[in-house]
Amino acid sequence: MESMVEAVPQPRYELADVQPGYVIIEREMYTKAARSYFSAEPVPPKEPYREGSQVWAFWEMAQSFRFSVRDNQTAKVVKFDEVLGLLYYACCDRDSDLYRIGELAHESNISIYVAVAYEAPDGSRLDIAIEKLAILNRAFNERLRSKGKKILILPDYFGLYKKLSYGQIMLDFGLTAMEERADSPAKEGAQ
Amino acid sequence: MKLKEIAEKLELERLTPVFDKDVTGVYISDMVSDVIANAKAGNLLVTVQVHANALAAANLVDICGIILAQGKKPADDVIKMAAKAEISIFSTALTRWQVATKLYEAGLR
Repeated sequence: MESMVEAVPQPRYELADVQPGYVIIEREMYTKAARSYFSAEPVPPKEPYREGSQVWAFWEMAQSFRFSVRDNQTAKVVKFDEVLGLLYYACCDRDSDLYRIGELAHESNISIYVAVAYEAPDGSRLDIAIEKLAILNRAFNERLRSKGKKILILPDYFGLYKKLSYGQIMLDFGLTAMEERADSPAKEGAQ
Repeated sequence: MKLKEIAEKLELERLTPVFDKDVTGVYISDMVSDVIANAKAGNLLVTVQVHANALAAANLVDICGIILAQGKKPADDVIKMAAKAEISIFSTALTRWQVATKLYEAGLR
């Protein structure tokens, strides 16, 4: 019988500088806008603070990690500090464009993910350069063993960050909460 | 070792069809971020995590199958998602430690 897996050669790319930490989600007290950032502190800050006329307060956190990708041929290391997390197409609304595209791609054995970036302090969305996403795609595809399987990580061309809940992104909310949470922080109203 | 052989040895309950892939090793974790960062393609994931994101992470790193310990079972849509991604999901009443012991006894290292 033909094997469903194939041998993996020595990878050119590998995850490097994996730094465990937390995705901290904070909320503005008056407008209820939400934003997130990564903290590597053992005990993440939870005190409210003022930023101009706004007051930001801790809302929720999820265990996560920050990472780089090392190119073993060139020794070049590319940081991915702006990546909040990845979203699998199948975790999206079935009526969404991403879900429909994901289903089409699945027919060709391609699994679609979208890289969601952190917000900048002013509320704008950080940019993940397409060249960096190409490296990330190579790194994840190199690890695969299943024959014909491909991963395609796309930029958030879908504007998903405007309507996603943080719980849809691959993050570890509440280690004791192993079931799907209906109350995971929604990003609606995010700046 | 093949996934089907392990399922038979451990008498696992099959929640999806069994996609008979080679098992390269075992990774035990309940954290999505940990699986993404550290699990290897072809690993069998032992967990109690039933969230759809666990399946999403398993698919991303090409986990060959998932054993849900302590009788955990995911929602139907997660099972369908797994079947579509050709990731076999099993359930067992055993704890993660008991599953690990039995996998070791079965010859996995």
